[in-house]
Amino acid sequence: MEGAIAIGAAVAVAVGALGGGIGQGFAGGKCFESIARQPEIADQVRTLLFITLAFIETLTIYGLLIAFMLVGKIG
Amino acid sequence: MIFGSSYEPLFHIGPVPVYDHVVAQWIVLFILAVICIAATRNMQVVPRGLQNFFEWVVEWCYNFFGGALGSEHAAKRYTPLLATFFLFILTSNYFGLIPGAGTIHGFVPPTSDWNITGTLATIVFFSVLIAGFREQGGHYLAHFVSPHWLFLPMNILEQFARPLSLTLRLFGNIFGHEMIVAFLVLMAPFLVPMPLQALGVLTGLIQALVFTILATSYLADVVGEGHH
Repeated sequence: MEGAIAIGAAVAVAVGALGGGIGQGFAGGKCFESIARQPEIADQVRTLLFITLAFIETLTIYGLLIAFMLVGKIG
Repeated sequence: MIFGSSYEPLFHIGPVPVYDHVVAQWIVLFILAVICIAATRNMQVVPRGLQNFFEWVVEWCYNFFGGALGSEHAAKRYTPLLATFFLFILTSNYFGLIPGAGTIHGFVPPTSDWNITGTLATIVFFSVLIAGFREQGGHYLAHFVSPHWLFLPMNILEQFARPLSLTLRLFGNIFGHEMIVAFLVLMAPFLVPMPLQALGVLTGLIQALVFTILATSYLADVVGEGHH
């Protein structure tokens, strides 16, 4: 039973980080593209990027929270 | 430890148990109050030092939130609330950077407990409802059946999903950061957790901003429609 809980925690973090990582990669890449095209709006784009990354990271953090809860059950 | 509810209360006031996070919250409020009183004592026409800095903070808040809210009237009315959220959450997040935080009782970032982030999100929830009725009166109810009355359940669900996501986002980020630092300290006590703490400075600021920006956009939703 404890092994299953441990595997569940690992899957929660792994899948959450996978999706979030891909999403953040896309967001960051597009941000750099737009700054390279129009360097004068770099400040605005950077602010928006940080907020977007925070949103995406939230989903990963949900997975992390579930993992913490599961690990807490193993004790 | 998980969800911050299973450990012992610090002390009791009558029948009410008082936990670490509540004491930390009091300390944060005390710090903010002392700084504000110090900044507004002996105010001068030409500001210097602390007063100068705080005038800059207040002006920045008015411009930032006023720009997002869209009107001078709304900016005057709702900036105090939103700026309070920002300053309180920022100070709370940075509370975890004090040496000893997390190991000494009463020294934890208050926002790493979901009761406190939940309280903040509940305040946002009721502020949006009250602001809606205050700015638009009964017309605010029409907002729930737009674009069609079939969307009523979705609109109601959306109202309740907002505080949930606000709570979990702030709590998860700060709590997750605290736990990762705690694990690292267990594994390698010296120097290794330092880069992560530096990242915590960035995370604390961004999460305070994100919470406040979301609350602002929810308010801007209901405030802006009142002027059409």
